[in-house]
Amino acid sequence: MPSRILIVEDSPLVTEAFEILFTEAGYQVSTAATVAEGIEQGTAAPVDLMLLDLSLPDGNGLEILEALKERGSPPRATLAMTGHNDAKSRRSCLDAGCADVLLKPVRIGDLLRQIKSLLA
Amino acid sequence: MIMSDRGDAAAMKKRLKTLEAQAKEAQSTIDELKSRDKLKTQFLSNISHDLRTPLAAIITHAEILREGMLGELNTKQRDSVSGIVNGGQQLLDMIDEILTYVRSASDQVALARTDFSITQVVDQVRLLNQALAAKKRLTIERLNGDDLPLVYGDRDKVKHVLGNLIGNAIKFTQDGGRVWVAFSRRGRDGEELVVEVGDNGRGIAREHFDLVFREFAQVDASPSRPHHGTGLGLAIARKLVELHSGTIWVESELGEGSRFYFTLPFDAPRD
Repeated sequence: MPSRILIVEDSPLVTEAFEILFTEAGYQVSTAATVAEGIEQGTAAPVDLMLLDLSLPDGNGLEILEALKERGSPPRATLAMTGHNDAKSRRSCLDAGCADVLLKPVRIGDLLRQIKSLLA
Repeated sequence: MIMSDRGDAAAMKKRLKTLEAQAKEAQSTIDELKSRDKLKTQFLSNISHDLRTPLAAIITHAEILREGMLGELNTKQRDSVSGIVNGGQQLLDMIDEILTYVRSASDQVALARTDFSITQVVDQVRLLNQALAAKKRLTIERLNGDDLPLVYGDRDKVKHVLGNLIGNAIKFTQDGGRVWVAFSRRGRDGEELVVEVGDNGRGIAREHFDLVFREFAQVDASPSRPHHGTGLGLAIARKLVELHSGTIWVESELGEGSRFYFTLPFDAPRD
């Protein structure tokens, strides 16, 4: 059974690129573009890894992680993505339980290696 | 006499009224300009952010192709796709430079100060620029600094300043030239560090010393200029140095190379 990756990202262009990447790498992929969709997808089936954009149209991506933790179904690992290299938002992601905070655009080689080691 | 005093008083009153009207007009122009400047900054911030997202998608798609995840590419195909990745990355760096400038210009940059080793940061920036320098057969040397105490500042911001200065030095120095970083101390007890980034490149004319630190200014701004960029690198460096209460300046002569200097405090200010 392949690991399930949930991509939470509001840009369809970026989502599509990640969808191709993870499907080709052998993962099962689902996507969400808002906080509400993220919570829905995250509770519908267990998520092994959540790739989480912080800035979403209806709120901050970390709200999804908090909600999933409250419902007792957090992903095994979460990687946050942000467009800004800012120390404060990095701190809040790590405090919320993200394994790492990646600066967009993420280098795919590094990303796949990191996911592989997180899910090992 | 009385008539003349009255006449003077009336003239003065009239003059005062004119001045008041002019001051009001000037104030309203200032307010208008400030509001336009704010709009411009907001526009730059939004557009930079919006440019970043599709560019991130382009780079990721191109990387998927380059890594052969959708089928093996031949050498020519891989070189061509690498061109997309590299061009996209270069564009992204420019957009990030604009975003950094917008944030620093609108005072959205907060410093995260710690004590850190300036020589370590310089060596990291030298390493990051090694490939670029090698292409032009340039050397980037660090001339001294092994015995320096730690400096107090925002490590990432200082790294950004050094990156911009060293990047510029490489850009404006001919093949086979020299770029160096050297340190000295100033102040009564040597409490301030002076960082020098020098090169033996084309140099800058004295009348352009102020211009180079101004945003969007380029000594050669013509479309056919040999060196392209946002024209923000040194303006950002100046902002970031000033946030550290430091100063930045240049000494140069045309054809003789340039030396950029900036200062940083060694210690946290004591109350």
